[in-house]
Amino acid sequence: MNEELDSQLSAMFDDELPPQECELLARRLSRDEALKARWGRYAVVGAVIRAERGVRLNAPLAGRVNAAISAEPTLGAVAASRSALPTPVRWWQPLAGAAVAAGVAAASVLWLRAQAPAVLPLTAQHAASAVAAPLLKASAGLNDASYVTPRMPAVRPMLVPSTQLANYVVAHSMVSSPVAGRNLLSAFISSESPPTPVEDVRVNVAGDAK
Amino acid sequence: MSADASDLSLVRRVQRGDKGAFDALVLKYQHKLVKLVMRYVRNPAEAEDIAQEAFIKAYRALPQFRGDSAFYTWLYRIAINTAKNAVVSRDRSPIEYDLDRNSSDESYEMQGRMKDPETPEGLVLTDEIRSTVNAAIDALPEDLRTAIVLRELEGLSYEEIATAMDCPVGTVRSRIFRAREAIDKRLREIFEGGLGRAEELG
Repeated sequence: MNEELDSQLSAMFDDELPPQECELLARRLSRDEALKARWGRYAVVGAVIRAERGVRLNAPLAGRVNAAISAEPTLGAVAASRSALPTPVRWWQPLAGAAVAAGVAAASVLWLRAQAPAVLPLTAQHAASAVAAPLLKASAGLNDASYVTPRMPAVRPMLVPSTQLANYVVAHSMVSSPVAGRNLLSAFISSESPPTPVEDVRVNVAGDAK
Repeated sequence: MSADASDLSLVRRVQRGDKGAFDALVLKYQHKLVKLVMRYVRNPAEAEDIAQEAFIKAYRALPQFRGDSAFYTWLYRIAINTAKNAVVSRDRSPIEYDLDRNSSDESYEMQGRMKDPETPEGLVLTDEIRSTVNAAIDALPEDLRTAIVLRELEGLSYEEIATAMDCPVGTVRSRIFRAREAIDKRLREIFEGGLGRAEELG
């Protein structure tokens, strides 16, 4: 027996052999019965030193396990046969994916429809008030020659620019064509970022802020 | 040095279909496992049966072993569960009343003795092994004896032993190997062909 090999075996038994050397020695150990017997005796030495009383050091346990394992299917072969098996269920996997996607889409539609009664009236109400308020104010302004610029929604508090510029734009929109006025106002609003929100800005037709 | 590298290399071989590598694992851990199971059952023969079952369960479950824990830790859990289940099923099984027990105490005792290796008949070889190993250890030079005892009894790593003995790790490895070789030389005479397994494996 090679002394270096036995030295490696002793170190491997103690988990003190580098992994690369373990790989090589494990291969040899699994095939070499003499080496395996020595390995088994190393275990016996340890059991005696630890004074493992009641344990039969000559028990035929390893032989019995070996006999039982011999009747078992080889693990590598089992894994290979499992991977080599045809997979008849795989054809439905794309369909299952599509079904899940369709289900999510249907649930989304149903959810939106469930939300619709709560959203639409508010939107309609808001739109109606947004349209009606200037008209009402305008009609009221016929009396006092002024109107109130609509209050900006809270979510976009910076939409109203400085008062003078707002007055100019609004006044200009009154005399320009509706499309041009709206475009100018939109362009102005989108380009401006006023420092503070302005609540109500009362503007008279002549352009003086009150 | 990665802990459990040797066990893992054997485990990987078993997972690739090398049954001989599993044999090495059984040889390494059979005594520890029987000792562990004997916390649950007192009869060593029953403990061996449970340990055998645990090893077979471990073999069947080995494809699922990923190496996240040490192999022995994993095996330990399997053995504990197997022992607990065995105790439960034994307690549930109907008690066999031996109506003639009082009249045949002698034969009942003899039956128990044959199953129990703690009896003088069952322990002859084990005692011989123990005395041989102990005598071989006593005959070792001090540095070899200290190294093997620190390793096997205290479970110290080579590095820890090197620190304790104030020598290089390579020296520790050499001392432990030489100690094992000296003991093994005496043991081989008893086992005659490797734990008496040559005939069984035939």
